[in-house]
Parts: sequence; C-alpha cells; structure tokens
Amino acid sequence: MNYTNCGEFQTSYEKDAAIYKSLFSKICIYGFLISLFVIPFFIDDYFLYLFNIIFIAVIGAVGLNILTGITGLISLGQGAFIGVGAYTAGYLANQYGLNFVISIPIAGLITAIVGMIFGIPSLRLKGLYLSIATLAAQFILEFIFIRAEFITGGVTGLSLDYANFFNISLDNDFKFYFFGLIMTILMVTAAKNIVRTKIGRAFLSVRDNYIAAEAMGINIFKYKILSFGISSFYAGVAGAMWAYYVTIITPEHFTIGVSIQYLSMIIIGGLGKILGSIFGAIFITLLPEVLRFVTDYFTSSYPFLTQAFASIREAAFGIVIIIFLLFEPEGLVRRWNLIKAYFKLWPFSY
Amino acid sequence: MKKLLVLFISVFLVSMAYAGKVRVGALVDLTGPTGDVGKPYAEGVRDCVRYFNENGGINGNEVELLMVDYQYKIPQAIAAYKDFLRKKVVAIHGWGTGDTEALSKFITKDKIPYFSASYSEHITDPKNNPYNFLVGATYSDQARIALKFIKDKGEKKTVAFIYNDTGFGRSPFFPDGEEYAKKIGVQLVDKQVVDLKALDATSQLLNLSKAGAEYALVQETYMAASTILKDAKKLGIDTKFIGLNWTFGKTLIDLAKDAAEGYYGTSSFAFWGQTDVEGIKFLHELNKKYHPDVTFREVNYIQGFSSMYVLLSALKMTKGELTGENIKKTLESFKDFSTMGLTAPVTFTKESHKGIKALKIYQIKNSSMIPVTDYITAD
Repeated sequence: MNYTNCGEFQTSYEKDAAIYKSLFSKICIYGFLISLFVIPFFIDDYFLYLFNIIFIAVIGAVGLNILTGITGLISLGQGAFIGVGAYTAGYLANQYGLNFVISIPIAGLITAIVGMIFGIPSLRLKGLYLSIATLAAQFILEFIFIRAEFITGGVTGLSLDYANFFNISLDNDFKFYFFGLIMTILMVTAAKNIVRTKIGRAFLSVRDNYIAAEAMGINIFKYKILSFGISSFYAGVAGAMWAYYVTIITPEHFTIGVSIQYLSMIIIGGLGKILGSIFGAIFITLLPEVLRFVTDYFTSSYPFLTQAFASIREAAFGIVIIIFLLFEPEGLVRRWNLIKAYFKLWPFSY
Repeated sequence: MKKLLVLFISVFLVSMAYAGKVRVGALVDLTGPTGDVGKPYAEGVRDCVRYFNENGGINGNEVELLMVDYQYKIPQAIAAYKDFLRKKVVAIHGWGTGDTEALSKFITKDKIPYFSASYSEHITDPKNNPYNFLVGATYSDQARIALKFIKDKGEKKTVAFIYNDTGFGRSPFFPDGEEYAKKIGVQLVDKQVVDLKALDATSQLLNLSKAGAEYALVQETYMAASTILKDAKKLGIDTKFIGLNWTFGKTLIDLAKDAAEGYYGTSSFAFWGQTDVEGIKFLHELNKKYHPDVTFREVNYIQGFSSMYVLLSALKMTKGELTGENIKKTLESFKDFSTMGLTAPVTFTKESHKGIKALKIYQIKNSSMIPVTDYITAD
C-alpha cells in the first residue's frame, strides 16, 4: 500500500523536483520498465511492430513537447525535421559506412542545427505567425527531400542496411524492440531532467511571460533557439531510428500530415508534460489500428457497408480529437493524475 | 455449464472454418487521395475473389480476402502488412508506389509474393525485389511506347513531359523516358510540373506551347489531366496530349467533356465498351449476376480484376504447399498466360517480373475510346 501523505507536503526544493516521490513510485516505475523488457518474449510480430512505432513516436513527441508544450513555441515542422534525421542517418550509413551508434547522434545534431536555423524567426514571431513560419520549414524541407537527389535519392528514396550491433543485425521486430526501448528510456529520462534543470525553468518562463523572463535576465533568444535545437535533436533521433527500422525512406514518409499527427499527440497527451507526450504517442499510434480493427470486424459481417465504414473511420479520428479537446483539454495526463489521486486518497476522497 | 459448452463448440467451429482457407491480403485506398481510382480497383479485386470462390476456390479451399483500406499512408501500410503476416497470408495485392517500395525489403525477407498496382519499373527487377510482380505495362514502358508512337506519327517530333512531383509522377520520365527519347531521336523540349490536385495549368501550358511541343506526355490521374485538357482548349493550344494509364478512362471524358476530344491514352487493359473481347463479355455477365444494377465499370475495375485473376490463377496452379517460394516458381513459369483478352498475354521470367510489355494506344473520338494501334511493345 502507498503510505504517503494525501497531498503535497515536501519540505525542500529537492524533494519537490524528485522523480520518485516515494519508494512505492520508485518500485512501480522500475517494475514497469522490467516488464517492458519481458513483454517481447510473449507477443507476436504485429504487436512488436506497434511497440516499435510507439517508441519512435514517443521520442518525436517528447521533443515537440519541449518546444511547444514547455517553451510555448508552436511548430508545424516536426514531420520534416524527422525526415532530416532519417535522411542524414541514411546518407551517413551509405556514404561513409558509419555504424548506427555514431550515425544516430550525428543525425540528431545535424537536425538540431537545421531546426535552430528555422527557429531564428522565433525571436520576432509568436503564436500563429511562428506556426506559419515553421509550416514553411515543412514545405522547404519536403522540396529538398525530393530535389536533392544526390543525398536523398529523390522520389525513389534511400535504402540502407539494418543497424548492426556487434554483428547482431537489428533486422526484425524482436531485435529492434530492445534497441527502441533503450533509446526511448534514455531520451525520456534526458528530457525529464532537462525540464528539471535551469534550462527547463528558463523555457517555462519564456512560455509563461517572456517579458518578465527577460526582466529577470533570461536571454530569450538563446533559450528559444536552444529549445528548437533540443526539439529537433529529438526529431532527428526519431527519424534516424525510423530509417533503421524501415530501411527505405522516401519523401512520402515526412509530409505535413506527420507534423499534424505529432502536434495532436502532445495536445491529446498533455501539453508541457513529458508523461503526456508518452500517453499521446501511444494513443495516436494505436487509434488508427483500433479503428481499423473495429471497421474490419463490421465490414466482414456487413460487406456492403465497406465504403460507409471506411468514411466513418476517417471521421472518427477527427471526432475523437474534438471530444478530447472538449472534455479533457489538459490531456490524458490529467486523467491519469486523477486516477492516481483517487487511489491515493481512497477510501477518504475528501 | 451450458454457456461454457456453447462457447467451446463455437470456438471449435470457428477454428474448423479457418482450417480450409487460403488467405490473401489486399491493401487498397478507398478514402485516401487516390480513392477515385482505388475504389473501382478494389471492387474488381473483390469480385474476382468471389468468382474464384464460387468456382472451386483454390483447389477446393476457399479464398479469404483480407482487405485493408490504408488511405495511402505508409505507416498504416506497414501495420497492415504485419497484421497480414500474423494472419498467415500466402500472397498480397498492394497498391501505391511509396508503400510498395517501403515494404519491398520486408517482402523479400518474408518471401511473400506481392502484386502491386504501381507500375513503377524499378520494382520489377527480380535481383532487388524477387517477390514483387506487376500485371500491367510499367510507366517507363508506357512512356517509351508513346515516344515511339510520336516518332512514327509526329511531324516535328518534339515532346514535352507533364508530371506531378512525386514518385508516381516522375517514375516514367526520369531517367527512362528522357534516355529513350534521346535514343530514338525525339526531341524533349520542355518539362512541366502540374500538381495532382491542380485546378489551373495555364502558365505551364503557355510555356509548353512556347517551347514548341508537338506532343506532351501526361502522367497524372483523372483530375489533373482534365484540368490540363480544359485549359489547353481554352488557350487554343494545338499540342497533342498522350496520357499514361491513370489519366485515361470514362471519368476523364465526363470531367473534360469536349476538351477530351482527340486525347490519346496508353492502356494495357481492355475497356468496358469493347464487347468483342472475351474477358469483357465475361465481366458483363459476371456483373449482371453479382451487381444487377451496375451497367458500367471503370477501367480500374478491369485492372483490379485482371491483376487478382493472375494472382489467384497462380495460387491455383501451384503444386504442393502454398509457400512463397513455390508461388514464385509458378509465377516465373507463366508464359503467355491468357487473361481472356483483358490484357495482352502475361509472361513472367526469372529475369523480369514485368507481366505485360505490350499495350494499345487509344484515342477519344466522339466521347468514346477507340484503339488506334494494335498491341505494341517498346523493344
């Protein structure tokens, strides 16, 4: 049983910022992580695939959440930044034969640089204006993916070998799972810690009131660019992982639709919360699969309704997002906290 | 207790029912951006499966078609593919260029025979993609044959390419079409990009006409092709247009009306109106039986039907167990396989997985599609 005070009664700032608020939560988190390492032995390829794309989505979404949720800069270019990471990793692997252990961080760094360049207008632009500027980044990068054939292979795409780790080729879902899981744990832990440090607090102050932040001596431009850099680094890593997973990348992977999907992940999960990005990534990745499962079930019973169900599925996606915004504007993470609080306070929920 | 018994029996019956089934996966686009051609195509695929099931299935086993509307999105195509594998499909019929390419490595590793509706030439090389097959002339071949047609018919022998900036759009021209034009001495005078959903192509057409293009090859779908034709008529441009297969069908005539007069199209498939073709006659009867209220079918329906017809016939002819290797071996022994005249005879070899190399060039005259050549090939 969880024997903690029913409420927040920290006596020091260290305790306030602690990741594990109690021994119980520590045990829960470690238990959960260990179970994640055990699960793949019991599930088939299809579920392994779902886990793998969730890992990649979590990394991308955490990155975007640092930028949009924590620093308050809207970006519609995450899909293209993921593409930059994927192409960089592919190019480095093909051209220089770099191992994925090296090419993934380099892909992240190069994407970070690209992201910072496109982040420069953020000093002058805010809100809607900035979102249009990042939208431009999306289109410019997409254009480059198609046209810079000597790097990207143009529309034919870029094909690379599976990641190789001490002669173990990560060529199936099972092997990739462990790589994906470890990367996700590393990246999420890093993000959690970035948020807890000085940088994270500077980001928050830029979001909440940039004038007050500047008055306090925070260099707004520096932190905005840094936020773009960190966010793009995450996008780059996610893209590089996707490249090593699918091993063939074409411009059709990184359209505006992908950017919108990532944005909906952090909105549904919870803006400004690392845990929220994880929930959102899981939700948005699984939603089409669940909807497909449901429509497949109905269409096998009523084949003449195939077309109708196909359209319903498309609409359902939109409706789910609207319902979320209406009834859970703070995202899934709030619901999770309410559930936790319920058990914590039970049976005296007052 | 009773409930438990019922549950037990039903589980048993369900597992029995699954025992004698041959599962085939199909990726289709019903609601995505290519849904206009994807929907009739999917209907053709479905009717073909139904026809086979009513006529003995695959050597007595019923075909179960697992159809997934993947909305032209690559991640969803990969998810559907993994799901197909889990359900132990013996072969898959796919759809677009991007997703077929994204899946190609998985297909090779898992040894799943894969038919696609993308006629992109570079997935037909068995060295890189040993399990990919195509029923239909490749885009590159279509462009080559059209260029040959220009070389024979044209006076100025100049050509322009109109395409959209995607894998699908660029596939026939770069580099295959460009090289072939140079080789046979047709002069390429202009290249213009027209988006798939374009509602205006005026500036592109003016450039094209200024460059002096006698002919223009069009790689688009119905919508952009009709925009091009309507704008060309409006501007009084006398360039003759030759569209590749996805631009050419009755929908185009409906959209472009009289602007479509004189438009050429390359197609390796017979059209619904050609009732002298055995396969078309057969499809007319089949539709009378399955869909009494349907009086017309798009060429895309015929494409879907014939592609699935070849796939299921291969399954039927495979001796021994239905493994990927066995099916591939059967397909590679296909020599002049007849699709009842719906296409030119289909041939697959170990060196080439292009099922069809021949096509006819059609022209729209008085709102109907008239063949102006016999079956011709590029080489």
